[in-house]
Amino acid sequence: MINLVRAEWRKVITVKLGWGMLLGALALAALGVVAQIASNGNGGNGSPVLPLSAAATQRSIAASAGSAYLFSIVVGIILITTEFRHFTSRPTFLIEPRRGRVIVAKVIVAAVVGIIYGLACAALTAAIMEPWFAALGVSIGWTSNGVLLSMLGDIIVIAIFAVVGIGVGVLVRNQIAAVIGALIYLFVLEPLIDIIPVVKNAYPYLPGAAGAAITGASRGNLAHLTAVQGGFVLLGWGLLFALCGWILTIRRDVP
Amino acid sequence: MSPEPSAVEGRIVASGLTKVFGEVKAVDDLSFTVEPGSVTGFLGPNGAGKTTTLRMILGLATPTSGTGTISGVAYAHLPVPGRTVGAVLEATSFHPGRSARNHLRVFCAAAGLPDKRADEVLEWVGLTQAARYAVHGFSLGMRQRLALATALLGNPRVLLLDEPANGLDPEGIAWLRGLLRHFADVDGRTVLISSHVLSEVEQTVDRVVIIARGRFIYEGKLADLEGASGGVVVRTPTPDQFATAVASLNARITPRADGSLAVVGATPEAVGRAAWEAHVELHELRAGSSSLEETFLRLTAEPAAPPGPTP
Repeated sequence: MINLVRAEWRKVITVKLGWGMLLGALALAALGVVAQIASNGNGGNGSPVLPLSAAATQRSIAASAGSAYLFSIVVGIILITTEFRHFTSRPTFLIEPRRGRVIVAKVIVAAVVGIIYGLACAALTAAIMEPWFAALGVSIGWTSNGVLLSMLGDIIVIAIFAVVGIGVGVLVRNQIAAVIGALIYLFVLEPLIDIIPVVKNAYPYLPGAAGAAITGASRGNLAHLTAVQGGFVLLGWGLLFALCGWILTIRRDVP
Repeated sequence: MSPEPSAVEGRIVASGLTKVFGEVKAVDDLSFTVEPGSVTGFLGPNGAGKTTTLRMILGLATPTSGTGTISGVAYAHLPVPGRTVGAVLEATSFHPGRSARNHLRVFCAAAGLPDKRADEVLEWVGLTQAARYAVHGFSLGMRQRLALATALLGNPRVLLLDEPANGLDPEGIAWLRGLLRHFADVDGRTVLISSHVLSEVEQTVDRVVIIARGRFIYEGKLADLEGASGGVVVRTPTPDQFATAVASLNARITPRADGSLAVVGATPEAVGRAAWEAHVELHELRAGSSSLEETFLRLTAEPAAPPGPTP
């Protein structure tokens, strides 16, 4: 098993994609954090804003880095679909015909990649917040205001979405279709579910909403789950997608 | 002495292999055996089901029915498949952005082999100079060599190569031939190579398995195929009388394009005597010189429409 994990890890670090997507994730996280600080700090347009010193504001600023999960789910999808696209699935499953083990190795590596993305995004968030707040003379309650917890939530969300990506990529082997499908779901379908009567009661349990519950980011109309509940729900989604990937990979022919 | 004949180390056995895609039977009840210590050509026209058959033997595709075994067990049940069997299924299984060396190192890790093995096989296939370059700049011939290098990583005792000569220049084909012959003759390994062109592999293989439209056509020594194919060419003004005369020989008579007849399954001596005894006039009698490729094409040709009125 350790050999397979090493092999999957090498696949990630020997192509440029992982690094490029990391830059994308960092850029998106930075954008979210900067926008949050700027809009709360200036409070222009007469909109009522919470002061930067408020715990909720500081948490919500830290949480906005979690939006980088969009990049981690795409990385997860690409890690697996690239095998089918370039037929590296063949030598992969020839060397390890117990295909389920390959999927387990992929899930582990996707989670590790997601954690690295999450750590990088959290570190960047801190690097932006710290000097900015210092310049404004506002102190950050890293622990007392739950900022660090919010960052931990970012890391968890980003890591789990990478695992979800593996499952999505097995379900939809076509790389472009899988990436576009996932983004359409997260940007269009899930918000749509939030406004359809009756159906919308399920909204807090959907992956995007559960992720938002973990970090405390604002999303949707319905009340979120608590962070811990959201964590379990998102973990459940991650496991469900990983399980689907595992079963389908064993049952279907290798392209 | 093994009680189970298919359990010979290195022997590949296909037994009733069938693969149905929707309505199409891509492979239809296919059985054959590939022995260690020989190079076997797996031949058939494009679309005959060669790749699908190899994929089923290699556990990449699940047969609709039937089994494929290597050393007596299904591929997935081999103790260390990566170090027992090396396979190439079309030379396209690379990430274009990954270097040749890193490509091999990924699979070194997966198979639990030391990284230096990657450099060894690169040298074998003559790609040492290109080791650090991304595969997207590789020619088809270089990709074939890298695919072969991947198959050789685990020093396998069984090699299955799908169209390995595709894209190789004549020098590369000669090199490949020497390598495969060495594996079979000196090391006693099992080598199965598929091709849709018999002439491409006829100097390399000693046995052939021929399929067409997913069905079994012929299995045996290449030399036997050649001998059986020649037949006798006869020219006679009275073909019906001739057919009656040679009926006792149980030979197959088919008209040739130039008006002569091909008699397959009898010697020129036997045909001549039968015609002479029945007083059938012959204008020509000679041993056929049908080339191997012609035989191959005849064996694998689409069957003619059945005679008689259509219902």
